[in-house]
Amino acid sequence: MFKRKLLALDFPDADIVDIKDDQKFRSLVVWLEDQKIRHLKIEDRDPLRNLQGEEWLKVLQTYLIGLNCPYNSTERQAVTDWLLGYAVRLEYGDGVDKYKNVTPEKFQELKTKQAGASSNPLDNLDFNSPEFRAGITSLAMMLQIPPYQDHLEVLKAICTVIEERFSLESMAAAKKSTEQLNKEKDEFIPLDKTELGFDAGDIIMTETAKILRLLHLHDLRDLQTKINTAIVKVQEITANPKTDSRLGKVGR
Amino acid sequence: MRTYNEELKFVEKSGPCGYHIRKGFVDNMKVEGYFYANKALEKLMFDELKQSCNSKGFGGFLPGMKQIANVAALPGIVGRSIGLPDVHSGYGFAIGNIAAFDMSDPKSVVSPGGVGFDINCGVRLLRTNLHLRDVEGLKEQLAQCLFDHIPVGVGSKGIIPMTAQNLEEALEMGMDWSLREGYAWAEDKEHCEEYGRMLQADPSKVSSRAKKRGLPQLGTLGAGNHYAEIQVVEEIYDKYAAKKMGVDFKDQVCVMIHSGSRGMGHQVATDALVAMEKAMKRDQIDVNDRQLACAHIQSVEGQDYLKAMASAANYAWVNRTSMTFLTRQAFAKMFNSTPDDLDMHVIYDVSHNIAKVEEHFIDGKQKTLLVHRKGSTRAFPPHHPLIPVDYQLTGQPVLIGGTMGTCSYVLTGTDQGMVETFGTTCHGAGRALSRAKSRRNLDYTDVLSALANQGISIRIASPKLVMEEAPESYKNVTDVVDTCHEAGISKKCIKLRPIAVIKG
Repeated sequence: MFKRKLLALDFPDADIVDIKDDQKFRSLVVWLEDQKIRHLKIEDRDPLRNLQGEEWLKVLQTYLIGLNCPYNSTERQAVTDWLLGYAVRLEYGDGVDKYKNVTPEKFQELKTKQAGASSNPLDNLDFNSPEFRAGITSLAMMLQIPPYQDHLEVLKAICTVIEERFSLESMAAAKKSTEQLNKEKDEFIPLDKTELGFDAGDIIMTETAKILRLLHLHDLRDLQTKINTAIVKVQEITANPKTDSRLGKVGR
Repeated sequence: MRTYNEELKFVEKSGPCGYHIRKGFVDNMKVEGYFYANKALEKLMFDELKQSCNSKGFGGFLPGMKQIANVAALPGIVGRSIGLPDVHSGYGFAIGNIAAFDMSDPKSVVSPGGVGFDINCGVRLLRTNLHLRDVEGLKEQLAQCLFDHIPVGVGSKGIIPMTAQNLEEALEMGMDWSLREGYAWAEDKEHCEEYGRMLQADPSKVSSRAKKRGLPQLGTLGAGNHYAEIQVVEEIYDKYAAKKMGVDFKDQVCVMIHSGSRGMGHQVATDALVAMEKAMKRDQIDVNDRQLACAHIQSVEGQDYLKAMASAANYAWVNRTSMTFLTRQAFAKMFNSTPDDLDMHVIYDVSHNIAKVEEHFIDGKQKTLLVHRKGSTRAFPPHHPLIPVDYQLTGQPVLIGGTMGTCSYVLTGTDQGMVETFGTTCHGAGRALSRAKSRRNLDYTDVLSALANQGISIRIASPKLVMEEAPESYKNVTDVVDTCHEAGISKKCIKLRPIAVIKG
């Protein structure tokens, strides 16, 4: 309850205000007077600050009359709301210039900006907008990727192609292998000479199965390389090969 | 006892390079036998049978064909008992024999003789970015440097300090132990059959005697047919597959390491044979040959053996990995560079003597099998889930070590191999003369000078035994590989020839 007003006033612990609790209600009133409303002189605030005092409700009644509050001190909810509203009004009066520029549009804009700054800007892209789809289509055409109904899958393919063909490392590797290729023309085995190991029925299915098989091998190679890297990392800790030529003995 | 001609009635040619062995060739055959051979190799097979018939079965091992048939009589065997082109007589099972047993059949057996004494004996191939001309002048020093780093021979001791605790961990973890201690690269594990670790290993099932034998031998090559060779690429048959293996040009330098689990694996096999002989009596398992000692897979003896075998297999991988580490050090020293800059990656690492639980199709039904591969190499086809991602399109690399002074091959696995041979192919040349016969017939100085004439540097611990490993004692590896290629159970990819050999 009252969360937004409390937040606007920078009240600490805005989440846990429970005005049914006498102590918390009284503390809130004192805080509002001390920090925002400042109706009484500092030395006159003592009775109000005496939270345990039996006279406190009377003091509050006097205080409310002093503020021209239309509510009676017993109507706790209405009083709280009115006091908070009053405090907000005073706060606004203190900084009219600062607040008058705030329009709902600007506020929305601010919110977007904040979100963008805190995370990946791509998150806020609309992946289904026509522009986005068009962008993917033209990228795919540039990279010679065949069209497919799900543009997000096409995007994945584009990512793979860029990673594998256009990253700095792969460009360097490709350059090297082209140099080698010029020396030896038969580096690659043509698809029709690759053995599938079984017959998939017709030629198109066989070709497809071959391609899938090659892609699978590619993944396996990747996995094996990762395994090897892991072994090498462990070896850095455990390996300590020794030889002692004095132990050696040639037999007969 | 049947005569040779009577025996021949059970053997029937099938296809350009294969023979069926019909039921009845020996007693109790549950499935048929089959073996691969071309013209040159079939003569060896049939001569062996003829000789055995003439001598009325006395002397030496049974002929390979009989051994293949006896294995076909073991309980729980499925498909067929298969001999590869390099097949020759061994203890119980022929070397170069594959047999698969149905895991869901309670009668199925596991046999240490079907794995062999040198558990997980295998071959590893390292590549470098060096050209033959980079090493030619340094060949002798390089051979010496390797010899200094990798102790060889019977009774040799390794230069990697190991405690009993280290060994326990190595037996359990396999190549993961080497990785943890820093003897291996992460990529080595990736390019190793089974990723260099059999998870069912349990070092507590390995006798203390076996551990005692294994402890000082880690990082040593051993004797017999084991070797480390510096090789160069002689021919590339499959350019694309070779490229995937990092083999780009002719005369590229590679290093091949052929070794196993040393005394440790031998002891595990011996212990298991003793335990199984008792189990056979108890469970009333009948076999045609005493050497085919075996136990039900699910019995205590069977499980104990499989766990101990896995531990010995782990030991073998740690052993080859340790020698890889030492080889990298030797090369780095010789070329004043780092193993990284020399691109000394493991191309692949294959096992020759092992039993593994695998999924296969039998008559169109998927089954879980215990596949025994003795003197044979797994050769899985492209797209098999158990091969590294780098080889998914080419098929698993299969490393075929030749004999001392002859060439070696890299093959790749095929779909046909998966159907015909449980995804398996040959492992090497295969012995043609027994060790004793080689010693009688050949002179070691001739063998050494023949190698020198070919320009091969050699460092050897016991030169007087070198004739046992002379090319003349073996089948021709090119015949063997060509037969596998022709039969379609694997495909030729690269041919290598040695320029320096380190041997026990």
